[in-house]
Amino acid sequence: MAPEEMGKVSYRMRLVFAVCSLLFVATLAVSPVKDLLREWKHYKRGYLNLARSRPDTKRLIADFRPDLDQIWIPEMNVVDRCTSCHQGITQATLADANVPQPYRAHPPIPHRVKEWGCTPCHRGQGAATEVAEAHETTLAWEQPILPGRYLEGACGSCHRDARPETPKLNRGRQLLESHNCAGCHHLQDIQRAAMPGPDLTNVGTKVSRAWIYKWLKEPRTVLDDTGSVKVNGYEMEESPRMPQFRLSEKELTNLSAYLSSLRSHPVAPYKFSPAVLAQWSKRPDVVDQGELRFRQMFCSTCHSFAVTRAGETKMIGGEIGPELTKVASKVNPDWLVAWLLNPQAYLPHSKMPRYEWSEADLYKVTRYIQAKLTDSDLLSTVPQLGEPAKDEIAEGKKTFLEKGCSSCHAIEGMPPQKDFGPDLSALGSKNVSQLEFGKSTIPRNLISYIQSKITDPSSVNQAARMPQYNFNAADLDAITTALLAMTGPPPTSALQKLTVPRPNPQFRPAGEFAQVYERYQCADCHKFNGFGGDLAPDLTYEGSRAQRQWIDSFLKSPQTLRPTLIFRMPQFNMTDREAAILADYLSMVMQSPDVRPGSLNVKDLTPAQAALGKQLYEVKYQCQSCHTIGSGGGYVGPNLNNAGNWLKPEWVAAWLANPQALIPGTIEPQRSMTPQEIKAITAYLMTLRQGGGKAAQKKAAVQGMSRGGNGVAGQ
Amino acid sequence: MATTLHSLLDQLRETRAWKSVFRRGPALTNRTRSQAVFGNLFLHWMPVKVREKSLAVRASYYLGSISFLLFLALTITGILLMFYYHPAVPQAYRDMKDLRFVVSNGVFLRNAHRLAAQLMVLLVFLHMFHVFYRGGYKPPHEFNWVVGVILLLVTLFLSYTGYLLPWDQLAFWAITVGTNIMSAMPVIGGKLRFTLLGGNLVGENALLRFYVMHVVVLPLIAFLFIGIHFWRVQKDGGLTVRSKDDGKE
Repeated sequence: MAPEEMGKVSYRMRLVFAVCSLLFVATLAVSPVKDLLREWKHYKRGYLNLARSRPDTKRLIADFRPDLDQIWIPEMNVVDRCTSCHQGITQATLADANVPQPYRAHPPIPHRVKEWGCTPCHRGQGAATEVAEAHETTLAWEQPILPGRYLEGACGSCHRDARPETPKLNRGRQLLESHNCAGCHHLQDIQRAAMPGPDLTNVGTKVSRAWIYKWLKEPRTVLDDTGSVKVNGYEMEESPRMPQFRLSEKELTNLSAYLSSLRSHPVAPYKFSPAVLAQWSKRPDVVDQGELRFRQMFCSTCHSFAVTRAGETKMIGGEIGPELTKVASKVNPDWLVAWLLNPQAYLPHSKMPRYEWSEADLYKVTRYIQAKLTDSDLLSTVPQLGEPAKDEIAEGKKTFLEKGCSSCHAIEGMPPQKDFGPDLSALGSKNVSQLEFGKSTIPRNLISYIQSKITDPSSVNQAARMPQYNFNAADLDAITTALLAMTGPPPTSALQKLTVPRPNPQFRPAGEFAQVYERYQCADCHKFNGFGGDLAPDLTYEGSRAQRQWIDSFLKSPQTLRPTLIFRMPQFNMTDREAAILADYLSMVMQSPDVRPGSLNVKDLTPAQAALGKQLYEVKYQCQSCHTIGSGGGYVGPNLNNAGNWLKPEWVAAWLANPQALIPGTIEPQRSMTPQEIKAITAYLMTLRQGGGKAAQKKAAVQGMSRGGNGVAGQ
Repeated sequence: MATTLHSLLDQLRETRAWKSVFRRGPALTNRTRSQAVFGNLFLHWMPVKVREKSLAVRASYYLGSISFLLFLALTITGILLMFYYHPAVPQAYRDMKDLRFVVSNGVFLRNAHRLAAQLMVLLVFLHMFHVFYRGGYKPPHEFNWVVGVILLLVTLFLSYTGYLLPWDQLAFWAITVGTNIMSAMPVIGGKLRFTLLGGNLVGENALLRFYVMHVVVLPLIAFLFIGIHFWRVQKDGGLTVRSKDDGKE
């Protein structure tokens, strides 16, 4: 190229160059324009408009900045930019439901938003500034926002203990525990019970092969259209714990053959003495007498059964023990007698107390159970099975292992199958891509996966070994919530420090008391130092509350203090010695540190104080609206007719001063009484005594008991 | 207007400051022009004279030049990205989120870097094919061919080390698989993998090592060899251009 031609470019080339340059600039401009139109900027403007349309504009925009907002908590690994759009969450005046989202105020919670951020509870992607990215599952983020109805699951990630604010979560955890999910799965904080299901070592001595067949096929559970659980056709609040295993006819035949062959320790029939047989076997009212005794012993505190009254059939009774409506069609008569005499001989971990029976009572009650609690049609649908054949037994044993039965049921000589199912201790933080949906058409998210897996395991996995659980909708949600709470160990050490551990209370008494305590299974219903059941009063501070003499006589013949209760303390027919051991231990050991024994003596209380106390009780504080004295008063609190014999004066004084300090959560209100008033009311209550001698007390006890009997029958 | 501009430029050329920077006068003859090229750090590895046909599009399709321009673009966007990036776990992935959601034009910056890198790998390969089919590896270009192969490997390794830096699942598994393949090498495979990862797993150490390789070691090697490459193009007699007329190269 000659030098003079250099620098000369044709017009066409210039045009091409110009167009290319323009295109290049336009391409570069796309990104800044996109930056200008970001979603959060739109919501920022929206908030300003909203604030200007409201009377308290000035306060609403006091903290307003046109930039991104974020909550940054380094020690918790939280960078939440949610407040860039959700700008009104701390503005109390925006709590109204008319305020459009995302500007509405956050409902009141125990945590301060600025200290905790949003994603520790709500999950989702806190760093995101786009609606879809922040809330949903996207290509680069798999943990979506937790839907409101399962939000308690997020509480459970840190709060491993049961809190009153999270009823759904608590219920779910309780269901996971009571349905022995930990039998097969490793769960966070829910320990595997020693052996969750009944021991089957001798099940052949207890039930027939036909009954086993029926039970395996349909473990009492029938789900009706409304989703509520019916047992034997009657409504139940709790569903039976045994799930349905979808077994074929062949498997049922083999399994029932194997199980009915398990009778390594056959039961010798109990021999009633000829005197008892002579007296009772011919009497026409033996069944009625048995029923009366059954009621008097308050079997229904733990066991439920169907009662037909005025044409209406209802389940009554408690849920600690199994339901008994058709029990006589299930168990062998000899086994029943042996069981009632000593339940722990058959099942060492049984919750059933060992009653002190008189032979006549035992005879009457077993006759009643065999005559009334039975159903001749129960096994009519079971095919003729006959004696178990050898190959059936061998096949049945194989099925038993394949289905994971020995995860829950012990059989002597068969090792338990621990962790038979997958580990679920971090299920709540599983990503969708880690879940197996199979051919199902359910929405691809963790919640729908959990729910369809529980209701029908084969829906997501044809070969699932997991049995089927028939929960109603509310319980299914509760279980889902509890599973979502299982997010594994906290991601940071700071969060680890924030985790509230689950209390693991244990109460292991020793000595003579322990023997009696275990014989009557006190902790089934009562709490001791935070351990035990919820059915009956907490006895942790019983020694500070009740007088020893009263405890002793109550144990021998329990009379109710709260006439409106359905469930009563059973009549154990305790011996004097046993009652004395329990009373001594309770009054010496179960003491409150806040009540000083002997700090208030009855002798120091004058009749004048008592008279003033009566007036205060009836006029100033109106205690009778909840408590009964004589024939008048309310039924919310306990009956105080015998308060002078029952309660310790120092307890009454401390209780009146601050009930919640002694028993947190009690409904007794704190009334800010002066010390003089407290003394006066204590003096009055201490004068309330029923009878004096033992005979009078016994009479009262019998009355209480028969009232109680009517109470149950009337429920 | 034009004359004013020219006279202004002429005045500027007479200033002492201008003369201290550009020591020669205006390049009006071939001699002064070649002196200008020789005397300039950035131009001295360029040929003083090129044949017109070697500037035609079909002569090279500018594949090498575009690769170099992409390399420059990658350097600039890479330096900008370094302002926002921490080679640490788990901050590295959070920085990706910040680039996406908070940093102005962050998405553009990341995509520009990523796409330019992919394009560069593609163009470097095309460049190699082009040179190969033109017989550019034959004497006297053998040495420059070898330098080119080294540059190809450096480009690929730059691409590979950059892949881990976002610290997402794709990155993690790609590097896991890649280094496992490497460990299948006889005798030294396991040691090499350990050295590269700074451990037995793709973890914090691997991230740091890959980062240092990606932003310091490999770019320096690349610049060095690009310099040699360009220099040798000139020293070996310019592009290998197929002559339409006589069939000579």
